[in-house]
Amino acid sequence: MVQAIETFGLTKRYGSLTAVDKLDLKVEQNTIHGFLGPNGAGKTTTIKILVGLLRPDGGTVTVLGQEIGWDKPKIRSRIGYMPELPKLPKHLKGTELLDIYGRMCGMTKEERKKQIPELLDMVGLKERGNDLVGKYSKGMQQRLGMAQALLNEPRLVVLDEPSIGLDPVGMVEVREIMKGMSKEGVTVFLSSHLLHEVQQVCTHVTIVNRGVSLASGTLKEISAKISGPVTIEAEVDNVSKTVTEKVKELPFVTHVSGDGKKLLIELKTRDDVRSQVSQAITAGGGIVISMNLKGESLEDVFMELLAKRKERGS
Amino acid sequence: MSPSHTSWTAKFLAVVRYEILWNIRKKKFLGMLVVAFALATLSLAGDHIVSAFGGPSVEPKPDFVIGSSVGLGGFGFLLFGIVTAMNTISAEFESGTIVPLLAKPVSRTTVFFGKLFGAFLTLLATYCFLMIYMAIGGFVVYGPQNNLHLVPLSLFGALFSTLIWISLVLLLGTLSRSSLIAALGTLGIWLGTTIIGSILGTLAGQGWILTYIPGTGSSGFANGGLPPSGPPGVSFPAGTSISTGTDGIGPNLINYILHPSWEVTYYKINIGGTTPGQVGWEPLYSELFSSVIVRSIAVALVYFIVFIGISWYVFRRAQVAE
Repeated sequence: MVQAIETFGLTKRYGSLTAVDKLDLKVEQNTIHGFLGPNGAGKTTTIKILVGLLRPDGGTVTVLGQEIGWDKPKIRSRIGYMPELPKLPKHLKGTELLDIYGRMCGMTKEERKKQIPELLDMVGLKERGNDLVGKYSKGMQQRLGMAQALLNEPRLVVLDEPSIGLDPVGMVEVREIMKGMSKEGVTVFLSSHLLHEVQQVCTHVTIVNRGVSLASGTLKEISAKISGPVTIEAEVDNVSKTVTEKVKELPFVTHVSGDGKKLLIELKTRDDVRSQVSQAITAGGGIVISMNLKGESLEDVFMELLAKRKERGS
Repeated sequence: MSPSHTSWTAKFLAVVRYEILWNIRKKKFLGMLVVAFALATLSLAGDHIVSAFGGPSVEPKPDFVIGSSVGLGGFGFLLFGIVTAMNTISAEFESGTIVPLLAKPVSRTTVFFGKLFGAFLTLLATYCFLMIYMAIGGFVVYGPQNNLHLVPLSLFGALFSTLIWISLVLLLGTLSRSSLIAALGTLGIWLGTTIIGSILGTLAGQGWILTYIPGTGSSGFANGGLPPSGPPGVSFPAGTSISTGTDGIGPNLINYILHPSWEVTYYKINIGGTTPGQVGWEPLYSELFSSVIVRSIAVALVYFIVFIGISWYVFRRAQVAE
């Protein structure tokens, strides 16, 4: 199957600074692929190369099976792109902007007439379509940026930090829009530094730092690559020696330590074994109040990958 | 028409519309428009104002409209050129709106020339309004006008003259990505060529250089010449003053149609006079009026093509990192 995005050895330099360093990236079609990294990791630079705003210094880029050249508008007709904090022309009204961009995308009058009100409705700007963009708040401009990215029913939507500037309700709505697009067979490539956002919405993740890909795949695949222990932090009533012994008897438990009501249980597996641990605690006479898995979240994986990279660097 | 052609046309016109809407909603442009109409009104009402304050009574001026250059002169062309084009490329980079624009499936060539054409149409509409205003106003204030059929030549000349400044603004704006540099750079070049250039040209007798530079060009005199007609000790050339530069294309075309046999004579100011103790204009050389016009149009075309060509090349290759 043709990949939605495929790069080999992608490199981009700004003078002596290497923003993207021989990046190999594969984004499968019909996925929501998170592109995760701290500020300055090279996410936006990579995206700008994908949409033809920057010229790479090395490597190849293929989007939807076609190699990206310089100023090839045909490929862009299948890509929807929302820049980070999109700067949209303030002199145009919301509907005018979508209409003009729609014409640039080659949409017919009928298509524009049908799609533009739908898109404005979808991003919650139905009532403000006739206002000048200059009068929009940042969040509204962000929503309009999302709408313009979805014009012309693209096969690949590239979103650069789509949640910046949005209120919590807007963030949830954006996530729902992304999930909806994915259901319709659209590939979503989403750059973000918000780990929870990526974890909630993405099926696949690529983690980058300093222009280098640290890991790529499904979240589980990435977690599996990490060698660090997974720990269960449990809050337990009636902690006793029996409770500790029962938990220690579990074959996947390597160490148990306690401090009052808190139990720290180190595991040698990355599977979710909370139910077995809970049963063991109950069998020992304890009452489980809460239980959290540490080391499994994207945040943990991300921090660990960055730490490893730092160790190797130093 | 093939679908691809139709699609290209639709995309091109979308860029044109984008640019026109930007231009006509710009405060700078609207301000310039108000000033232009105010100046045109002043020029129409000038004689009446002078007359109201005890000056001579208003006489019919049958050549008022044809001599008005759409109500603008060289500086007016420059200002309209700067105001119309200073946002065309550079402001897109400054504001960041270039990012979503260039990510659309439109080639950069289409974007560039669509924007240029949009600026041209904005200018055309503005000058048409000004011209119609001057024509009607001239008729009302100064009575029936001669040669109104030649007014479109004045419009053509004004557009052509302004387009050179537009191309220079675009060039500086594309290279620097700064509207301020584009505007001030163009103004500086205009000041250099128009003021300093003409002073040097007139005094050093090297005015011909100015005919190869955009702007007013060098001054010559047609339909006349020496002998001197000034007071004792000072000689003046007689005849009609002709600006041979690109700013004079409109009036020169009209004058050429009305007086095809004119010759233009150039002078330098001889501070010492032709005889000791005299300040005089010393004739340098003469040429056919037709040569002046052909050269000024050719110069305008060359500058326009070169400036636009470089701007287009740079814009096509421009990377958008910010």
